[in-house]
Parts: sequence; structure tokens; C-alpha cells
Amino acid sequence: MLKLAIYGKGGIGKSTVTSNLAAAFARLGCKVIQIGCDPKADSTINLLGGDPVIPVMNFLREHDREPERIEEIAKTGFGGVLCIETGGPTPGLGCAGRGIITTFSLLADLRLFEQHKPDVVLYDVLGDVVCGGFAAPIREGYASQVLIVTSGEKMALYAANNINAAVHNFEDRGYATVRGIVLNRRNVDREEEKVRAFADANGLPIVADIPRSDDIIRYEDMGKTVVEGDPELDVSGRFLALAKLLLEEERTA
Amino acid sequence: MKQTARIISIHAADTSGVCSMLYELGGMVVVHDASGCNSTYSTHDEPRWYRQDSMIYISALTETDAILGNDEKLIADIAAAAKDLSPNFIAVCGAPVPLLAGTDFPAIAAEIEARTGIPAFGLHTSGMHSYLAGASEALEAVVSHFCTEALPRTDAPSANIIGATPLDFSVNGAVESVIGWLKKSGFELVSCMAMGSTLDDIRRASAAHVNLVVSSCGIAAAELLRKRFGTPWIAGVPVGEKFSARLASALKTAAASGGCALTCAERDASAPGRKLAIPGEAVFSGSLAAAIEADLGTPCRVLCPLEAEDRLLAPGDLRIFDEDAASAAFAEASGVIADPMYAPVCPPDVPFFRLPHEAFSGRCYRKESLNLIDHPLPWRF
Repeated sequence: MLKLAIYGKGGIGKSTVTSNLAAAFARLGCKVIQIGCDPKADSTINLLGGDPVIPVMNFLREHDREPERIEEIAKTGFGGVLCIETGGPTPGLGCAGRGIITTFSLLADLRLFEQHKPDVVLYDVLGDVVCGGFAAPIREGYASQVLIVTSGEKMALYAANNINAAVHNFEDRGYATVRGIVLNRRNVDREEEKVRAFADANGLPIVADIPRSDDIIRYEDMGKTVVEGDPELDVSGRFLALAKLLLEEERTA
Repeated sequence: MKQTARIISIHAADTSGVCSMLYELGGMVVVHDASGCNSTYSTHDEPRWYRQDSMIYISALTETDAILGNDEKLIADIAAAAKDLSPNFIAVCGAPVPLLAGTDFPAIAAEIEARTGIPAFGLHTSGMHSYLAGASEALEAVVSHFCTEALPRTDAPSANIIGATPLDFSVNGAVESVIGWLKKSGFELVSCMAMGSTLDDIRRASAAHVNLVVSSCGIAAAELLRKRFGTPWIAGVPVGEKFSARLASALKTAAASGGCALTCAERDASAPGRKLAIPGEAVFSGSLAAAIEADLGTPCRVLCPLEAEDRLLAPGDLRIFDEDAASAAFAEASGVIADPMYAPVCPPDVPFFRLPHEAFSGRCYRKESLNLIDHPLPWRF
């Protein structure tokens, strides 16, 4: 089972990358689960035609009980991707990090992986590893590899560096390792050079180079990923190529 | 009031279960909790504290440590202490504050092991489950780490006792009586997990022909030994003359056939009519119910207030999740055998027989504790 966590600065396009990657894995015939780990709970919306799944935290709030079946907190989207969102507490109250841990514990109790038997699990995580809850997706038993999404913008690279350092801090714990960088272009000056310098300095490969694309925005307006909307486009091909690369590595590992 | 105890006690928490199970094994047990809480796990719930050395510690977790995620301080403190103490292993587990902070104990244990070279394991306690959950996970971890070699079976029939802690058996000679009963029944003891045996004894557990599970907290470890070495297990406590004989026979059958049995649950409490109610841990209470029915002819029903798999309960037994449920079940009973702390919720017209349970009332009634093993039942109904 290929288990990936996608991290990066807020607003950098993690959910776009994650859901396109999920759609690409699905197009390649994989059984996929995508778990959004951001209180905004908007990770999977473009896999669901714009019709969101109820986040786990909302379910707990509305029903005052824990879910008894996966179906109560999951929806199936494009290509059969099972979509789950942790959601978050009432804004300004509670603890979002604890919400992620609680959700993971619930999913384990509901035997999600044993029942669904996915080939690929994707965790789309909040912008930074701000506390233990946001490191939960890279704990042992969850994601084994991390993809860091960044552009060439200074603050995106700053966040990418923080994430990389945080993951390195957990080396002795058996946590996930950073697989590489996904360059999500914003068309800033000397973008590739800046990101490559960061990647080289940290010994990380750039595993995908996603161009800034109006097609992504156009299909998101329709509640779709671009991989669903038109797999023949160059930008869709980038996601499909990344999915193939990761699958091939998993098969030969 | 649902899931509430206004009058009666609650059972010892999972942290107490960990400390109790690991107490005698020469390991260092660190509960990540606020300073002062050690007295709960190690004094009120632990009859061995004043007469037998152990290495149970509290990390003295502070608000600042919790907020800052000062795992490094915990790890460094444990590594420094371990250097002086040279424990057989290090177990680290949590309480409610680490639960809320999401502390990753298996990961912390991995760091400690990497730093000290001493086997370490993290346990998922939180103070939110009963002692059985903690004791079960702790013993399973010990078996997982130390019972790794498939030794040849002993020449003579032999057994391990699995799941013995003072929380269920106090320190009143009961465990020694189980060992004596095993010998009378034709089985040499390989190890008793985890009272009266060393870690080296437990390392030899795979040499036994059969395992006797005396508390539900021993089932996970027994299952692990069955998977690793094919050792069958029987669940039951030798109380009463006829039930003890049945248990001895089940042990011999299991040793010969390799099949497991839940002898304590081979009863039927579903027939109508008032019965003697026995609230408590499922393996012991089920065994006692079977013993009373066999020796005294009094129908019994187990009331289970603790975590227990369905298979540990007989038809007609009842799960009770709060004191209202206990009180209602007592009102329908012909009598109640229970820890004295249940007495206030027993209707006055229902006879109440006191049987202290350390996991429920701690040291409050320790002087009254009864060793029922291999002794005639002390009641007439």
C-alpha cells in the first residue's frame, strides 16, 4: 500500500496537487483513499463534483456520537476515490490537531484500511507541522513518504524548509521520510532555479513540475480535477507521470 | 444517570494496569503524567509497594512541557535514569494530558531504545480505560519482545499462568494457590505472568504445553503465544471443587489436542428466575459463577462492568456500564457477591456478600480479601 502525506505552505495548492494525484492514481486503476487533514475541509471537494463530504468533526458535533460505519463519514468521488475530511473544531475553540488524531483513531476503530483495502492512501495536511496533531499523518502506520509542495516564492520555500526539518527531527521515530518536492509554479522570477537550489541543498529531488494552468482553475470551477476533466492535457500528464513514478517505485520496493 | 458513578467507585485505570503487570519484571515503567500521581498507580492500587522494590516513575509533566511538546526532556530524563538503573526494559505510557496533546509513545520508545540500547516499548494508556486494557497491552508487549525463541516443550506437562496481577488477585496467597493447584493437577509451572516470576522465567514461556489465562487481561498475550508457538490456552480460575476439576480436565485436553477453551464462559445464565449476581472481571467472575452453580446449586449471572470480549460472557450474563444498571440488576438478583463498595447500590432486601476486588476498591478492604483458590467456597445461600 502506497501511503503519502502532502505538506506545504497554506494556499500553495496542496489540495489541488493531492486531488489531481488521487484522480491520476484512480485513472491508473488504483483503489484510492484521500484524507483531508485541514480544518477547512476542502481537500476532496474537486473529486466530489463540488458536493462535499461531511467532515468527521462536523459529524461528531451534529450527532453527538462517534460514527459507526465508514459510509457515515466518507463519500466516493471520481474514479472511486474514497473521500474523507477530518474537519476542525468550532473556529476559535477546541483543538484542531487533536481533531486529526481523533479522526485517525476513529478510522482505525472502523478498520478503514482492512475493509476498503486501498492501493494508495493520500493525506492532505495543513500548511505547517504546527503541533503533534499535524504530524500524525507521518507517524508509523500512516504515511511512509512525504511530498512537499512549493513554488519559488520565498515564504513557500521557507515553509518547505520548516516541514523538511520537522520530518528530519523524527528520523529516530520511524516516521515518514521526505520523498521529494512538487514544484507548483506561480510563475515567479527564476522559479525553477530557486526551487532547485532548495532541493539540492536538502538532497531532495523535484519529482513533479506542475505548470501554472488556467485549465486547473477552469475544471475546479466545475467541481473537477483537471485529470478528471481532460487527461490528455499536458498538466494532467504531469500528475499521471508522478503517479506512475510513485507506483513503479512502490512495486519495485 | 448514564455512564456515571455517583456513589460507587470506578475501576483502576489503564495506567495502574501497566504498573501492576510490569511491577516485578525488572523494567523501568514511566508514566508521563503530572507529579504526585504516582501514589494512585503505585500505592493505593499496589499492595507490593512497601515491601518489594520496583522502578515505577512519573515524568512530572508540567503545563509548559505539554504545551511545548517537550518530548526531548522526557526522553533525556529516561535515558539518564536508565543509565543508572540498567533496567531489563523501559515502558513508557501516558495519562489524560498526553492523550489530549497526542503524544506518540511508541515513537518516543523507539527514540529511547535507539539512545540507550535497552528494549523499550510505548503503551497507549490514557487513563480513560480500565486496568485490564493497560495490563493486557503491557503483557502483550513483554511477550512480544521477550518470548521470541521456540524452546522445546518440557518433558513433563507444564503451563504458564497468564494475567495474574494484585489488581485481580490481591497479595493473599491466591496466586501461590493457583500454582499449587496446577502442580496437583499434574502441571509444572514455567512462568506466572506476572507475579512471582522473573523476566527470564517468562522468556522460557514457549516451553510450556498449555497456558492458563486467569484474567481477561491475559488473553492477548496468550493469543500471541498461540500464534508464535502453537501453545493452546484455557481461560478460567480454579475456584470451587467441581469447577476446578473441570478446569484441570480442560487443561489436559488442551495440552493434548492443542485446542483453546473459555472454560469460565461455559455456562448458561439465560434461564428465567432470580440469580446470584457477580459483578467483576469476566474470567474470575465467570469461574466463580460456574463454581457456585456446580458446588452449591445456586444459579448465577455475571455482571460485567469492564472491557471484555463477547466470547467471555455466557448467555444471560449482562454488561453493566454504570451504577444505575448495577443497581437495577442487583434488584432482580437473589443475592450479590461483590466488592464492598457495591453495597450502597444493592437494595437492602437483597443479601450482599463481600468479596473485595483490589482493582475496584484499592487498599480499602485489603484485610478482608479472600483467597478462594483451592479452598471450599465460604458461602451458603
